[in-house]
Amino acid sequence: MFKRFALLLVMLSLALPVLAQDGINITVAGWSSNPAEDAALTARLEAFMEANPGITVEFVPSTDHTVTMQTAFASGIYPEVFYIDSSRLPDWATAGVVSIGDEQIENPEGFYPPLLDVFTYEGDLYCPPKDFSTMALQYNKDLFDAAELDYPTADWTWDDLYAAAEALTDEEAGVIGLVTPPNLERWLPFLYQNGGAIFNEDGEFVMNDELAIEALDFYISFARDGIGGTPSAVDSGWGGEAFGRGRAAMAMEGNWAIQFLLDNYPELNWGVAELPAGPAGKATMAFTVCYGVAANAEGEVADAAWQVVNFLTNDEGAASVASVSFGPMPTRPSASEDYLANWEARTEGSGVNFEDFGAYIVGGEYSYPWRLPVGFQPFSDAFNASLQRAFDGQATAEDILTEAQGIAEELMSE
Amino acid sequence: MTVTAKRPPEFKPHNERKRAETIAAYVFMSPAMAIFLIFLIIPIVFAIVISMTNWNGITPLNQRPANASSTVIFENQTGQSVTLPAGTIISNGEDEPRRYQLTQELIVPAGSGATIEGAVEAVEPGRRSNVRRGQLDTLEDGALAALVTVENPISIENGLDPAFEFVGGQNYSKLLAEGGIRQTDFFTALKNTLYFVLGVVPVQTVLALVLAVIVNQRWLKGKGFFRTAFYFPSITSSVVISIIFMWMFTQDGIVNTIFKAIFPDYKSVTWLDDSNGLFHNILGLFGVSRQTVGDWAGTRLAGITLWDWLSGPSVTMMTIMILNTWTTIGTLMVIYLAALQNIPGSVYEASSIDGATGWQQFKWITVPLLAPTTFFVLTIGLIGTFQVFDQIFIISSGGPAKTTLTIAYIVYNNGFNNSEMGVAAATALLLFVIIFAFTMLQRRISRETANA
Repeated sequence: MFKRFALLLVMLSLALPVLAQDGINITVAGWSSNPAEDAALTARLEAFMEANPGITVEFVPSTDHTVTMQTAFASGIYPEVFYIDSSRLPDWATAGVVSIGDEQIENPEGFYPPLLDVFTYEGDLYCPPKDFSTMALQYNKDLFDAAELDYPTADWTWDDLYAAAEALTDEEAGVIGLVTPPNLERWLPFLYQNGGAIFNEDGEFVMNDELAIEALDFYISFARDGIGGTPSAVDSGWGGEAFGRGRAAMAMEGNWAIQFLLDNYPELNWGVAELPAGPAGKATMAFTVCYGVAANAEGEVADAAWQVVNFLTNDEGAASVASVSFGPMPTRPSASEDYLANWEARTEGSGVNFEDFGAYIVGGEYSYPWRLPVGFQPFSDAFNASLQRAFDGQATAEDILTEAQGIAEELMSE
Repeated sequence: MTVTAKRPPEFKPHNERKRAETIAAYVFMSPAMAIFLIFLIIPIVFAIVISMTNWNGITPLNQRPANASSTVIFENQTGQSVTLPAGTIISNGEDEPRRYQLTQELIVPAGSGATIEGAVEAVEPGRRSNVRRGQLDTLEDGALAALVTVENPISIENGLDPAFEFVGGQNYSKLLAEGGIRQTDFFTALKNTLYFVLGVVPVQTVLALVLAVIVNQRWLKGKGFFRTAFYFPSITSSVVISIIFMWMFTQDGIVNTIFKAIFPDYKSVTWLDDSNGLFHNILGLFGVSRQTVGDWAGTRLAGITLWDWLSGPSVTMMTIMILNTWTTIGTLMVIYLAALQNIPGSVYEASSIDGATGWQQFKWITVPLLAPTTFFVLTIGLIGTFQVFDQIFIISSGGPAKTTLTIAYIVYNNGFNNSEMGVAAATALLLFVIIFAFTMLQRRISRETANA
């Protein structure tokens, strides 16, 4: 009996250091995109801890953030601070697991306004944006030279894009002009460039009007006419890989592709231009992530969590993002010069001119954030599947959008 | 002299001993029973309950419901005490769902920070509101505008809705009947899974038997090597095998290279990104297509056209089927091998004296004597293939064009990507029913063949 009691005591004493840790512990849950970025974030958190004794902050990345967070949410015990992808915010905010940050976020006016909009849900600002990326046009200079074409410029139109893709396609060599992933968010810039929208101002679904059909038909035409196609059609996992391997002469990827291309294809001779303008002007997509604070954090823990979040996203935080970025841009315009300067040294000796990355920054001004209403995941899944079928010649733009309308109306009625 | 019938003295102790033995048995069993209860019974009951709710899988289940008492902090800077009648609406101006009302009359004394507990409830508890630390700045009653201004914030804590509501059989009817996207997805997955099962199970069973018979031959040299080689895929991580297959089946991968070397005219197939069905492709060779077969093909059954029902597995699905067959053969072969070694050699000896050839021995001795094993192999094959998930998750995630969407995969997709845990649980239970039904059917067929 005594032995067992002693054993229990030993086990308890082992658990005690965990229970008795002094001060406030904050966990920042997210994902790891790049070792350099992780190191920069950890360094920034260390600076925070130095300035705020009594608060311990730890960055805990996971490989499948959404699933990890969801199971943690469901258990009721979850990290105090966590990344929220803009497309996930409506679901998580509705589920009541994210704190509203209207009062706590430092200097919200200093962010790019579209980024604040995307993290505002039903009138409340939830979380400050961490960093963001916009889509732009990457082009392979060698392939353009070989085809004796002029490099893309900011005043390109749809016709220019199509003509270039046609001229750059080389069936013998297995090169397509433009890689077109079968994803809703990759097509949406074309919808906006054509003056279309998913919902009109009254919240009605309008992504099946003439403008949408025209824009979708244009996007499908690349694959249909054999001058474009999905990344897997050219043996690649994603557009950046297809472009890097020289299997696609042009790609419409975002900032996340920069470091990937520099690391994996140092020989590649490439440039970046803004997306071509459509009949209704310029548009691109912005993909962004914010630091959310747990809704179940209370009192001094909540205050500490907001302190951490503000420390990471205020002017100084944005500058720190800019100076180490592996791709995504700082969310405050105040730091965009630092961002380009950061690339100047890092692109030295590579096949790309850092000034081209200005195309991503300019895109921030006319970008549309990527976000759908709550419960709209089946909508984009179905759209992507149909788009794939359209690429294979089994469906038309009109078929896809009629089906999309049915699903949108079904989901909205729930 | 009377003889009294006495109970045998050892009877009672025997009974007692029996009881003691029973108790001991239960004690020994208890750890296993506890594990069984915790990891099997409770989750199954939980899944059944969840399948009848609209839980999103995110909201913590222990979250306090909206009508639980909340704390309101008033800051009354009017300089005098103010009486608020019950039912006074508190809102933050624009947002309708965020309204709260007082459940009782409140007298707010002058001064700041008067805290009153249990005073408010949500006006529309059916809608999720997320005001926890947020601040409300208006009282709807105009007369009280002076009391609550932006400078006099009210904060409401813990005014949250319950994590879920019971919806009865709604999730099941969404999946099976309502003609919406979930029904289409479910039946697309059912179709794909059935093609997968019907393709993989017979092939893997036959191949496993053939391999087992071959590596069981006395004359075979290097038996150990072959047994290990065939079993190897089964013990390797499914993830690793899947990734290797992805490399092999890329457009310029080894499979296409070999085909090209044999057939110079061969046009590379994009194995992992081809949504065309096998039967459609075969029909296409004979010039039959959706346009030429007539209008019947457009008739929809459970949201899917008859033409699509008859597609056969897509090229990508076939690739995954080959992978799955290859990885499971080893295990099944080992099971067959064990059973083969249990067949007494004397039976073969007797038959060879009777003049049976090798093929006759295989057909009339080996196969019938292996019938119980075949039943077992078919059963685990059925269950395993109906639940195929990992290879789909890694290779195709249900694509291209939803042709590799399987039931197990949509369970995951509904639960974690679509945030509909109720629908996911219902799908999982339907999968259980399907597997159960097929196993029963297969049991009956096996028994009938055995009797015939």
